[in-house]
Amino acid sequence: MLSDKQLKIIYGLIIYLLLVGVLCYAAFPEKTPEEPVRMMFKVAAGKVLFDHKAHTSDMHYGLSCYDCHHHPMDDDSSLIACGDCHHSTEKANGLPETCLDCHDADEVEDTEMLKRSDAFHDQCIKCHQDFEAGPVACAACHVLQ
Amino acid sequence: MNSQKKLIVSHAPFLHNGSKISERHLHIIYAALPAILLGGLFRFGIPAIGVVCLSVSTAMLWELIMNRAMQRPVSIGDGNAALIGLLFAMLLPATAPWWLVITGTFVAIVIGKQIFGGIGGNAFNPVALSIAILMVSWKDFFDFNAMLVNYDPDFIMAYPLAALKNFGVSGIEKYSIGDFLVGRQSGGIGATFGIGLILGGAYLMIRGFIRWEISLAYLAGVFVTAQLFNLIDPVHYADPFFHIFTGYTLIGAFFLATEDSSSPVNFIPMLIYGAAGGLMTVLIRNIGAYIDGTVLAILVINLIHPLLDKIRPKAMGKVV
Repeated sequence: MLSDKQLKIIYGLIIYLLLVGVLCYAAFPEKTPEEPVRMMFKVAAGKVLFDHKAHTSDMHYGLSCYDCHHHPMDDDSSLIACGDCHHSTEKANGLPETCLDCHDADEVEDTEMLKRSDAFHDQCIKCHQDFEAGPVACAACHVLQ
Repeated sequence: MNSQKKLIVSHAPFLHNGSKISERHLHIIYAALPAILLGGLFRFGIPAIGVVCLSVSTAMLWELIMNRAMQRPVSIGDGNAALIGLLFAMLLPATAPWWLVITGTFVAIVIGKQIFGGIGGNAFNPVALSIAILMVSWKDFFDFNAMLVNYDPDFIMAYPLAALKNFGVSGIEKYSIGDFLVGRQSGGIGATFGIGLILGGAYLMIRGFIRWEISLAYLAGVFVTAQLFNLIDPVHYADPFFHIFTGYTLIGAFFLATEDSSSPVNFIPMLIYGAAGGLMTVLIRNIGAYIDGTVLAILVINLIHPLLDKIRPKAMGKVV
């Protein structure tokens, strides 16, 4: 059996650890960096882990932001999440129906708003094929686990 | 003549050598600290500290609440609840939400241990049971690739076992065993630092706090099974060292499979128990549905433990 003093020490330890735990969660919530490191797309065909940093870093592929982020070209306003324009479902659900919803006709060439999956497939696979590097087959990106 | 003296035992009163159950748990906690401090808190920072502190404190609180509810003596002083909380935190990703931690310690302490009557009565390892229930219920929170997506270390942060499961051996070519040993891999807070876990395990085995037969048989089971798979099809199945140093293997071998009340006590049963755990771990990883089968394998061997305990030495002398 524990003495009263030992019990008090243990109660104190519980309270101390609880406070530290709550403080860590409350004061340091998880922050998503402005420029993503990796991104996990969870879709019906299986999850896709996309290494954003490997594509942009000079140590790896060294792509320019505007190689992927477009409309308007070479403009920081294009540096937004793909899903902010390209909707992930057949319905737009409040997202733009066409590019012309936001852009003037002289700003963009293609006015059709691709679904997010079509936009990804077109862009990723075409680039991988052009450079003869990176995955092309479905199961090379989409995983079920 | 000397051999006869070994059998001489004096009568009561006996001298207590001072060893207590709390001492044992305290030493297991000490042994786990290198893996947590250097592998987890150093690598994953403040979120990992939050998970560990919340897990240990709520595990002790659940124990206290159950003591009060069941009108039993306060048992948090034995250190078992703190140890369960600590081991549970070691298996979680550093970004685990607070409610997952609290739910997990509830499952471990209340459903995994107190329902069976407290320490020594549990049929399953409470930590493995809790992780398995949570993993089945909220599997996305045990997807280390998705949970640790914002960490940017200077090594490959894709979860090695997921890479193996999804892409075969070609998906793990860039990993190195050296990286796994020094904790340069993705995984649970206390499950990534191979050297820390091995040192902790070695300390516990040498001091006799855990049974070396179980740990070494478990690792041998993993090694032999993985080696057989690798020999049959080296394109799909990784080499045994990859299996030993990734996922929950080391923490399972030294800290989970060796839990007292859910593991056998005799020599042969311990070897079978450990080897069966290693075999099941690799079977689940290689041909099962889950990425890491360690906790499920440990539950399976917990299940066969009462049967294994039937294998016991013959009683000396004749029964009249």
